[in-house]
Amino acid sequence: MGAAAVAEAPSGGLLAWIATTDHKRLALRMAIVALVFFLAGGVFALLIRTELADPGLQLVGRDAYNQLFTMHGSTMVFLVMTPLALALGGYLVPLQVGAADIAAPRLALAGHWLVLAGGLTMYSSFLTDHGAGKAGWTAYYPLSGSSATPGTGMDLWVAGVILVGAGLTLVAVCLLATIIRLRAPGMTMLRLPVFSWTMLATVLMVVMSVPVLAVGMALLLADRLGASIYETSGGPIAYQHLFWFFGHPAVYIMFFPFLGITAECVATFARKRFTGYRPLILALIVFTGLSMSVWAHHMFTTGQVINEYFSLTSTALVVAAGTEYFAVIATLIGGAIVLRTAMLFALGFFLQFLIGGLSGVILASPPLDYHAHDSYFVVAHFHYTLFAGSLFAGFAAAYYWFPKWTGAMLRESLGRIQFVLIVLGTNLTFFPMFLLGYDGMPRRIANYSSDAGFTDLNRLSTLGSYLIAIGVAVFLYNLYVSLRRREPAGDDPWEGHTLEWATTSPPPRFNFHSLPPITSHAPLLDRRLAAVGGAGKAEPGTER
Amino acid sequence: MRVGPATFVQALIDTRDEFDDLWALYLPIGVAVAAIVFGLVLFAVVRYRRRGDDLPGGREGLPFIEGLYALLLAGVVVFLVAATFRTNDRQTELASDPGAEVDVTAFQWGWRFTYPGEGVTVVGDDRRPSTLVVPTDTTVRFNLRSRDVIHAFWIPELRFKRDAFPRRETTFDLSFEEEGPMETGRCAEFCGLAHGEMTFDVVAMARPEFRDWLRRQRTAGEIQREEPR
Repeated sequence: MGAAAVAEAPSGGLLAWIATTDHKRLALRMAIVALVFFLAGGVFALLIRTELADPGLQLVGRDAYNQLFTMHGSTMVFLVMTPLALALGGYLVPLQVGAADIAAPRLALAGHWLVLAGGLTMYSSFLTDHGAGKAGWTAYYPLSGSSATPGTGMDLWVAGVILVGAGLTLVAVCLLATIIRLRAPGMTMLRLPVFSWTMLATVLMVVMSVPVLAVGMALLLADRLGASIYETSGGPIAYQHLFWFFGHPAVYIMFFPFLGITAECVATFARKRFTGYRPLILALIVFTGLSMSVWAHHMFTTGQVINEYFSLTSTALVVAAGTEYFAVIATLIGGAIVLRTAMLFALGFFLQFLIGGLSGVILASPPLDYHAHDSYFVVAHFHYTLFAGSLFAGFAAAYYWFPKWTGAMLRESLGRIQFVLIVLGTNLTFFPMFLLGYDGMPRRIANYSSDAGFTDLNRLSTLGSYLIAIGVAVFLYNLYVSLRRREPAGDDPWEGHTLEWATTSPPPRFNFHSLPPITSHAPLLDRRLAAVGGAGKAEPGTER
Repeated sequence: MRVGPATFVQALIDTRDEFDDLWALYLPIGVAVAAIVFGLVLFAVVRYRRRGDDLPGGREGLPFIEGLYALLLAGVVVFLVAATFRTNDRQTELASDPGAEVDVTAFQWGWRFTYPGEGVTVVGDDRRPSTLVVPTDTTVRFNLRSRDVIHAFWIPELRFKRDAFPRRETTFDLSFEEEGPMETGRCAEFCGLAHGEMTFDVVAMARPEFRDWLRRQRTAGEIQREEPR
């Protein structure tokens, strides 16, 4: 479709790029910023793994190590996974609901700049005398207080998190308003595509939980500057409540959008309507509700929360999560599956996240958590959910929607190489951590004794992390090659089901010249089936 | 030391056995679920590969099966949570009559073990870990607190840990079955620069030897910094 050129006419050069209110440009920029921070966080991870390959201290000192894992964790959570989730939503939700733009685009723009400013503030802490933030991404008080961790670096880290929190909330509000107010005629809530539903659940959780983080951090900053807010017998536990009231919904903020991506990929590449749409929506709503009442399962070992209550709510998530898994499997069965790279990454998410989820059921049991808490078992668990899970779906999204974003295809062959490298690397890196944690290795240590028996498994893990690095390099090369020597994608290379495939690649400034009738959550599939008389037989040689 | 019937009436709780029993329930269920899901996905990918241009018919949902399945999941949840609650009650119950008591103070970066009423204190630091000496075959009461930031008292071999908070005491019971040195105990909660070095040794000894050890410590001085032997 050559018509795209009309809408792509630049208007004002650099300023237009900085101050754009086009949700597509804005979202792509958020995603690029997240990618850059991902590479920085990845370098920290490689330094951490290299240090841990041998007992003793070789590469960095203990203080530098503490900065590395603090910045790795806070980068990946605050600056990569959450902004990436909102960036994907920012690009796709307006398209999927048939809107011309995001609601309140200037607010979304402000949100993006706040996230970037917060990230730069956090990173500026490296330039201070005492170094960067080094109290862990959780920044527990009193360790994060001014007497245990003095210095402006830590102040800047806290201030950065506040800015990021404010920015994320603004972007989420815009997406919420888009879904509620800007749906095209005929796009009822029960015709909303699965990805948009998962984004709705996500932004609800952001709006409810991220402001609590910002408040907790603002109080911490005041405390560091002399207000003595948490400096009471109940202060340290109060900080943990505020932090995890954000922190647990946050892990589903970094899960739901990626589940939605997987659902879209699975339906498209099984060439079949997503099965169990309504139960999935119900499960999402239940999950969202429960997610607000599970936070203290991070605090079982404090002896200061009602462990039974939080164990019950956390374990009950199994019912909602199981329903989501059922829907995806039911979609696969009876389909006509095409294993494109996007589908491989989606299935990779689905299976590897399961390992993270099932180990989470173990951690939701207080007596098992009394051993596993704060050990490498937990590190393995959340990396299976976030890296082996969500980031795999992030790659699935890249391969699936890159044609829509750029009008060009990513290379399949490079994608497959990347997939194999990252699957091997991921499992080699993170599976040994389950065993290390069970054997008694605490998290956040730079050094371990050679007679502790941790050496071999740590070496495997470090080796795996290098494989991941090579896989990520292949991905970057793929981006470069695919943009440099473009293979035109066309409007709808995958025979997609949802409205973003009904417009050009990339879409015009206001997304659609005309909309097809919206008859279900898969309007383009409906149109395709209607075109062949509903007999389930596609005309030969329709697309591609 | 009192060796009355009361000591034997209350069954000793071995945290490691409790953990192992519950683990033996959770792990096989988890592995089975993983095997089923991996199997189903593999089956679907092989069996339902695209073979032509036909679009497969799709069902909107399977409400009856899904309802039944959700009920089954809820049943599994109830089963697991019930087992968890039972174990949790046993692990966190406090004995009415512990056979020994240790006040544990965690600090950046070491441990201090005080035996109240015995006049014995053992201290270490991040270069020289201190040793926790405990009697076997009886409940040992621990009163845990921190002098500065949050730490966590973890004995991996007992599969148990508790956080140490400043300005606040946490009390729990443990029992030690086998005599001799155990795997290194550790601080599990990140606590700053020397967190990784904040270990402690654990030695369990029969009660008569434990009494002897306490007596020797008292005569050796108010504060004992040497390794016990």
